[in-house]
Amino acid sequence: MSRKNALRNVIAFIVCAGFLFCGSHLMAAGDPIKIGFSGPFTGSLAFNGGEMKKGAQLAVDQINSKGGLFGRKVEVVWGDDEAKPEVGVAVVKKMITRDDVLVVGGGYNSSVMIAVSDVCSQEKTPLVVAVAITPTLTERGLDYVYRTSPNSPQFLMGACQWLEKERKPKTVAFLMENTDYGRDGEKIYSALAKKIGAKELAHLYFEIGDTDFTTQLSKLKNLNPEITFCIGSTTEQALIQKQSKELGYVSQWLGAGGHFTEAFFNMLGTTSAYCMGVSLEPTLAMKDPVVADFVKQYEAKYNGARPGIFSGQAYDNVMVILDAIKRAGNPTGKLAADRDSINKALKSTSIKLTQGTIKFDKTGQVVTVFPYVVQTQIVNGKPELNIIYPPEKATGTYQKPLPWNQRKF
Amino acid sequence: MESLFLQQIANGLIVGSIYCLIAIGLTMIFGVMNLSNFAHGDFSMLGAYFAIYTTAYLSGWFGWISSMFIAAIGVGIIGYFVERTMFRPLMKRPTDIDVIMLSIALFIILENGAQLIFGATPQMVVDPFQSASINLFLFQTSYIRIFSFVLAILIIIALQVFLTKTKVGVGIRAASQNSKASMLMGINVSFIYSLTFIIGSALAGLGGVLYGTIFAVYPTMGAMPTLKAFVITIMGGMGSIRGAIVGGIILGVAETLGGSYLSMQYKNSIGFIILILVLLTIPQGLFGRGKRHA
Repeated sequence: MSRKNALRNVIAFIVCAGFLFCGSHLMAAGDPIKIGFSGPFTGSLAFNGGEMKKGAQLAVDQINSKGGLFGRKVEVVWGDDEAKPEVGVAVVKKMITRDDVLVVGGGYNSSVMIAVSDVCSQEKTPLVVAVAITPTLTERGLDYVYRTSPNSPQFLMGACQWLEKERKPKTVAFLMENTDYGRDGEKIYSALAKKIGAKELAHLYFEIGDTDFTTQLSKLKNLNPEITFCIGSTTEQALIQKQSKELGYVSQWLGAGGHFTEAFFNMLGTTSAYCMGVSLEPTLAMKDPVVADFVKQYEAKYNGARPGIFSGQAYDNVMVILDAIKRAGNPTGKLAADRDSINKALKSTSIKLTQGTIKFDKTGQVVTVFPYVVQTQIVNGKPELNIIYPPEKATGTYQKPLPWNQRKF
Repeated sequence: MESLFLQQIANGLIVGSIYCLIAIGLTMIFGVMNLSNFAHGDFSMLGAYFAIYTTAYLSGWFGWISSMFIAAIGVGIIGYFVERTMFRPLMKRPTDIDVIMLSIALFIILENGAQLIFGATPQMVVDPFQSASINLFLFQTSYIRIFSFVLAILIIIALQVFLTKTKVGVGIRAASQNSKASMLMGINVSFIYSLTFIIGSALAGLGGVLYGTIFAVYPTMGAMPTLKAFVITIMGGMGSIRGAIVGGIILGVAETLGGSYLSMQYKNSIGFIILILVLLTIPQGLFGRGKRHA
């Protein structure tokens, strides 16, 4: 290497270092505190993504209206993952490396978040997942990964207890969304069926975006199981109920609960009767003052729109992130150090929010939130969700599904 | 005694008939104009939203029937403008790729535009039969599905009569066989192009109303019908209406039977497996002309 070249390298190094230094210096000077939030904001899950966005925005607005954090505004960098793992990875990489977010929140699809969690732990940036349900996410021992909502075994724990102690079915069948979300739920319900000696008559699947389910439903009708497990999103679940009515298929539907949105009940009306699932639906637990206050503020901000489960989960998610940033101290602008101290602060989270008190275990999984078992019941000609299990929280009693032509509503 | 096999055949026939309605428009446009419109299913989506807004103001049967007319006319008019202002200028280009890219761009713009204007919330067009169903001894289905099936058949027959018995219809077929020769015979090919695109779009709009009543309405609903319509038209022979009808029914029935007896997970792949087999054995499709378009 000639001396001239060496000199050029040294100059280049100094210039680069200078830029880096200036960059970090500029960032600390009262600039907004940036967090990332990813979700499926377009595509077939756009509705659910939109609910998340509204909940997250409410949380940020509440903090900003009280002067932000350390006198700095909180700014959200939204990332549309389109429910596709490769897109999720790209948008989150951009958030971390170009937008300099301190923490990544949000996240709806399990398959997307598994891919994203690898990126975040490589980049040593805390990932706080809001909705995605697969246990795999937190079970791989990744240091920077947290989840503010129950994982699928926790989600379905109440439903499993109800099946084992109260409903005691002899035959069951499965109609599952062919994704991690559906498949993980299938494993849990299938393990329970084996435990209580119920016969599994069929394991059927559908894809996100499918519209015709008559093939699967005709097959199920022929098998006539007592319980049909069905985990999927709003549009598919609504079409499944509608087509069950058309084919005259009667069974106790039991899902996860993500599908019980306003759109689900608007589309189906009384056709949604008897459908069961588990829920953390904020509007069901209005006795809790924290929840009641959240619902009131949400309705005020969004022209009376009812917050769904994803609105509540995203709200909690952002609140947990902001709480950790607050406890970690004013970000200095040195990204790696800031992210690290937030990561430490996240581990000692303990904050009462809409889903309950949020505390993490060693793996970063919340262990203090359990959803209740709910059933759609028709009251005055309108569908209403009632908590039927556990007994101490119940707002209604279980109703066995009647054949379609005997339903008097 | 209900039979699972007959039930599945019935399910397939009914779904297939709706695929047909959407595919016929696509194949007509291809046959006459040699134009692959990847936004065709999104015209169905527009039709479905026309129906959502019409039935919001006019209730019951009257509202639903009017919504079909409004959707067909509305989407037909949109189709006319799209054809005149966008496709027509590009059709003179030596390669097809410009037109294909334009239709893909339209598909993306329409989907995202719909999300912006109508919102992402899924909705359903109010079923005038209130999803009542009927047990036909061998199988059970809903009135709306039977109605849609019959309507699809009537529209297909009407279209056949129009294409074979009227002067304009014969003109469309002539232009589809050889546009230069028909021009020399005094047919106004420019008019025929517009008319074909209007009819194709109107059929897509109408199909969208049925699709949105039986299934659901949301901004991305057009993608799947577009894909299926392409499978059907390629399978049946690009440009052949008979091919679209037979292809639609084959696809509907193959999907339900394959899903039921082979593997539920591969229900959506079955159409593509058939497509590959058809392309390998009869490249021009079941009813295609001997030579494929370039």
